[in-house]
Amino acid sequence: MPPTLNPSAFTTPHATGMMLEGVRLQRGNTVVFDGLNLQLNQPRIGLIGDNGAGKSSLFRVLCGLDEPQTGRVLVPEGPQAVGMMFQNPDDQIIFPTVEEELALSLQHLQLTRTQAQQQVRERLHARGLGAWATRAIGSLSQGQRQHVCWLALTWCAHEVLLLDEPFASLDLPGQALLTQEIAKAPQQVLVSTHVLTHVRHFERVIWLDHGRVRADGAGAAVCAAYETDVASRAVVA
Amino acid sequence: MNTPTSTFSLALVSLFAALIAVLGLIPKIDLPLGVPITLQTLGVMLAGCLLGPKRALQALGLFLMAVALGLPLLSGGRGGVGVFFAPASGYLLGWPLGAFVTGAVMAVMPTGTPRQSAISAFVASAVGGLLVVHVCGVVGLVYIANLSWQQAAIGTLAFVPGDLIKCALCVTVVHTVARGVPDWRFGG
Amino acid sequence: MRSLYSDRPTWLHRVPAGLKLLALALLGMGLFAIPQWQVLALVSGACIGIFISLGSATRHTKPLMVGVLVAGALVAGFHLALAQPVLAAVTVMRLISATLMGIALTLTTRYSDLLHVFEWLLMPLQKLGVRTDRVALQLALMLRFTEHFFVTWRRLDEAYRLRTGKSGGFKILAPLTIQMLITARRVADALTLRLRRKPLNL
Repeated sequence: MPPTLNPSAFTTPHATGMMLEGVRLQRGNTVVFDGLNLQLNQPRIGLIGDNGAGKSSLFRVLCGLDEPQTGRVLVPEGPQAVGMMFQNPDDQIIFPTVEEELALSLQHLQLTRTQAQQQVRERLHARGLGAWATRAIGSLSQGQRQHVCWLALTWCAHEVLLLDEPFASLDLPGQALLTQEIAKAPQQVLVSTHVLTHVRHFERVIWLDHGRVRADGAGAAVCAAYETDVASRAVVA
Repeated sequence: MNTPTSTFSLALVSLFAALIAVLGLIPKIDLPLGVPITLQTLGVMLAGCLLGPKRALQALGLFLMAVALGLPLLSGGRGGVGVFFAPASGYLLGWPLGAFVTGAVMAVMPTGTPRQSAISAFVASAVGGLLVVHVCGVVGLVYIANLSWQQAAIGTLAFVPGDLIKCALCVTVVHTVARGVPDWRFGG
Repeated sequence: MRSLYSDRPTWLHRVPAGLKLLALALLGMGLFAIPQWQVLALVSGACIGIFISLGSATRHTKPLMVGVLVAGALVAGFHLALAQPVLAAVTVMRLISATLMGIALTLTTRYSDLLHVFEWLLMPLQKLGVRTDRVALQLALMLRFTEHFFVTWRRLDEAYRLRTGKSGGFKILAPLTIQMLITARRVADALTLRLRRKPLNL
């Protein structure tokens, strides 16, 4: 029996929480999800699993880049409710300079170009990054570009943030910084990652395996179960 | 897919214009016989073959606009509206038209297999990237440099061998793309 | 990447971009409509004078100047070889006048100011369905990725050099093109998310 839904719980503004109900996603000849049911209410949720398990696909369905063939996806109202940060900063930075890139995120404030530029400079200055404003993206390191992507993401009017393998190209200090930033963010944050340390303390972690939920619960327990499974497969192989 | 085709076209046009700019930034390539060629006109042919007529036209239009705005994107670090008054400006203005024609020809030719795509690419780039561009160039030479039609026609022939080599290079790229990205729709 | 605009202020910097563009267009048309070499000589003199009056702003124009001089010399030589000195003079004077004034415009006009003029000129195309409001975005996207693809080219070339000991040359073009096509799909996704104004239909 599918869980009874209370649509008003999800379609009122500023309500956190998303839901997938009976979702089937097929790409070409591959069935990615079949009858996937998930309620996602917790402020911090981790998503782990092998490559090809469907983590990115789940995020794409949640932010609307992919539409399931059947089933329902309920997310907070508004065109900019769900935002996503892709794995590679070079795939998503649009403008050649930092301030232009961040100014785009402020478009929901309906400012003029000069006002937006001013806002960007003030906010960067408040973070001690005043010097970044006029810098060309090309002059920034990978980690710095990722930070620009993070700022661009959090300055939008998103209620939910989806982070697809954000730690992949960061060094340890970069990872530590991002973990702190995630902890402080007021939005609901979902993080898909292979670096389990960063989600172990999450209230909830979901282990996806071939498009199905293999385990779902407290971060520490689910991460441990996944690690054990991976270790056992390595031994057999 | 919820990514609208219009956004994909937007991205494709801009990124291809960037590719043409890069072709101008790379120093002249030396071919096996030590013949140096600039690759930028190859960008015209590739645009038509890969993007289809409409998007190829937009990509070249965007590129020329960037040049007109003062960016040194033509090979040799040239740019600004002044380049459109030079004798060779007929060729420049022929690029968007050449890309469009290349794309139009590619769209009606067979592209089912990599081999078919390669042959079609040669025909398309020869008609659009070579013939059309040279015709525009000749018009430019007649009106800006005051050459007679015969003089201009003979003068432009000097560049045809080099451009035929670029058609061949275009073919190799199209062939590789056809193999590497099998679901790519040539001709837009 | 550095535009050819010069930071050193001149009197021409203060003239509005649209006015300069219009003047250049009129000059261009006028030059090619006038056959008398005496008039052209006067006009050329004025243009050269204007160019020189820009002073130190013309510092970095060497590539452009070389191009103009080479083209001028070739054309002049061509006509002189055919014993047509007047035609040579007329052609060269037109060339130099128009190109110098074009360079002067580029040196003294900000990218953003000129872009505003171009966007205004493109507005009639909106009736044909051309999205002129996206032009600024597409230019920015193009500039952003020019640098990126240049770096990608160098990386691919280095990898090739490490394996073969020689520069890749045109062999790198195909892998770079494929990279570009793949990146375009991802960039389109990111754009869809950041530019989205209509609600999702879920």
